[in-house]
Amino acid sequence: MGWRLVAAIALCVSALIYFDDSPRLEPARRVAVDGSSWLLSLAAGPGQILGAVGDYFRSRDSLREDNERLVQENLVLQARTQRLASVLSENARYRALLNSAELVQDDIMVAEVVSVVADPAHHLLVLDKGARDGVYAGQPMLGAEGLLGQITMVGEHSSRAILISDASHAVPVQVMRNGVRALAEGTGSIGELLIRHLAATTDIEVGDVLVTSGLGGRFPPNYPVAKVVDINLRPEAAFASVRAKPLASLDRGRHVLLAVAHTESAAP
Amino acid sequence: MTVAHARWVISASLMLALIIYTVPMPRAFAWFRPELPVVVLMYWVLALPHTAGVITATLVGICMAILQGNTPGALSLGLVVSVLVLLFTYQRVRQFDIVQQSITITLLVGVSLIIERVLLLSAGGVVAEGYVFLAPLPLTLLCWYPVRAILRGLRRYYEVR
Repeated sequence: MGWRLVAAIALCVSALIYFDDSPRLEPARRVAVDGSSWLLSLAAGPGQILGAVGDYFRSRDSLREDNERLVQENLVLQARTQRLASVLSENARYRALLNSAELVQDDIMVAEVVSVVADPAHHLLVLDKGARDGVYAGQPMLGAEGLLGQITMVGEHSSRAILISDASHAVPVQVMRNGVRALAEGTGSIGELLIRHLAATTDIEVGDVLVTSGLGGRFPPNYPVAKVVDINLRPEAAFASVRAKPLASLDRGRHVLLAVAHTESAAP
Repeated sequence: MTVAHARWVISASLMLALIIYTVPMPRAFAWFRPELPVVVLMYWVLALPHTAGVITATLVGICMAILQGNTPGALSLGLVVSVLVLLFTYQRVRQFDIVQQSITITLLVGVSLIIERVLLLSAGGVVAEGYVFLAPLPLTLLCWYPVRAILRGLRRYYEVR
């Protein structure tokens, strides 16, 4: 048993030290992500089949209602997109006039949530798109209402994403109303973000919307993140403690959007 | 039959346990999810200590950590320690009645979870606050009897040696 024990301990210790960070172990991480998503999707299979059977037997009327609603929503969204396109081009002109260094134009890729990771201490999703589809580690993940999180590990055919509510995640934000910058940290609770270390005199109010600030270069600026719900301001404390509720529904929905940021140098 | 046959049944049962372990469930219940792959591992160590041992424990630990989104290695080390204790005492544990066996196995699972937590904390990983990481233990205790009955049946049917 001697050599087996030594081999086992060596394997454990090296996995503990090197697995998460070593660039040489990237192929092993990809295999791990793909293998675990296969297992997780297998485990989620029976539930999905039940859901699919339920969908199949949905009444014709409810499908017709859905269709009507979606057609209307689509019309509204198309109209908004047209307006947005003109605003974007106008914005690009202004940026060019200001000799701004770079223009950011975002493409969107749709991915399906295959499963959630088993440990409730983590807020991790498994997605069905991987390196083969152009997904990369650090890619921002969005929902219909706002920022959801980012990709942490990528496999060939699948990837793993962390939600903004995970206790190990933080996102640089700014208050949309006045541009005050802060860092919104996950708390491990699905409906809550926390902003610590905000000076007690800072101008921030309940109801303020926080958007990504773009600092750090990870998230593109101006994506909505959360809404301030509570400000704890004690006179003796140097910092205010602000709680915010994520705008996106972090624990709902089967599809997410992955933003592909294209950065181009603007003409001087 | 043959040793190769034995490995097939062991791997299949561990794989099935891992799949059942990852079935999605509401977050509130997920804290109490029994450590089924560990219980299956403990059974095979107890039944076939010369076939399933510390290497199997390491591999099961790495698989579970990857499925949980934790750093691999921490749970493996915990499982290696627990399996080592079981390997030193398996002849005595086999003589225990079902209640004593359940308690012993649950304690060993608890030891591996504590070692995992300490290692993850020291490696800067994310862990649950308080003692909630021990929440899987009650259902793990209840798991031992059915798991032992099913795997014993399989072992005898396929003559795993």
